[in-house]
Amino acid sequence: MDSPFARLTLPARIDSVPAFHEFVRVGAESAGLEAPEMDWLDLVLEEILVNIARYAYQPGTGDMEVGYAVAQPRMLLVEISDRGNAFNPLASDPPVLGGGLADRPIGGLGVFLVKNIVGSLAYRREQDRNTVSFTFPGPNQAGA
Amino acid sequence: MNIEPTELEKAIVLKVVGRMDAENADDFQQACERWIAQGARHLIADLDGLQYVSSMGLRAFLAVAQKLHSLSGSLILCGLHGLPRQVFEMTRLLSLFPVYDDVQQAIDTL
Repeated sequence: MDSPFARLTLPARIDSVPAFHEFVRVGAESAGLEAPEMDWLDLVLEEILVNIARYAYQPGTGDMEVGYAVAQPRMLLVEISDRGNAFNPLASDPPVLGGGLADRPIGGLGVFLVKNIVGSLAYRREQDRNTVSFTFPGPNQAGA
Repeated sequence: MNIEPTELEKAIVLKVVGRMDAENADDFQQACERWIAQGARHLIADLDGLQYVSSMGLRAFLAVAQKLHSLSGSLILCGLHGLPRQVFEMTRLLSLFPVYDDVQQAIDTL
C-alpha cells in the first residue's frame, strides 16, 4: 500500500530548514491552513530540525527527513526523523521561565515552544531511527 | 532579515525587518555587540517589521539584554506584534524587557 505521507530527505544542516518549510507549506496549503498558521508551522519545524542538525549526528553527519499527510481538513500530521544518536527531545527538562533578566537561562525554549504550539506530540525510536510526530494546528490555535 | 541602524543621541535604533531564525539570529546579536563595543548602552529594537522569530532569535535578544543589563544599559523592544509577540509572551520573556508600542515612546523614556 502506498504511504499517505509525502516525504523529503535532506542533509541534517541548518541551511536545509528553508527547503523543508517550503515542502511542508505545500501540504499546509492543501489542508486549507492560512498564512499566519504556516508561520507557526515553520517555527515548529525549525525548532525540531535545528536540534537534529546540531546534535543528532555529532561528531559526524547524516540526513533528516520530513513527511506530512493531511490528517483531516485543516489538520496536518507531520513526522520528522533522523538516524542519529538515540535522543528523545520531548523528555528534556522544562525551561526555567521565572526569575529576573540577569539570571534567566539562555536556551531550552525550542522544545517548550513546540509543546505549546502543536496538537498531539510523540517520539519513538524504531531500529536506528528517531521520529518525532505531531499534529498541527494544536488546540491553542496559535496564530489564529 | 534586514537590520538598519540609526544613531541617536542617547540610543541606537535597530530596525529589524523580516524573519529572525537559526540562520541569521547571530547577525542580530553581532550587530548589537558591535554597537555595545562602541559604547552604546541603550539599544532600541524596532520590531514592527519582524514577522517571525524562533528560539534562536529569542536567545539573541536575551543574550544582548543580559549584556546591556550588566553594563547598566537596556535593550528596549518596540512594535512587537503577531507571532513574535506571542512567542515572547509564551516563553514569559516579555516582562524581562522594556516594551513600547513605538520607537518615539521608547526614546522619550531615556
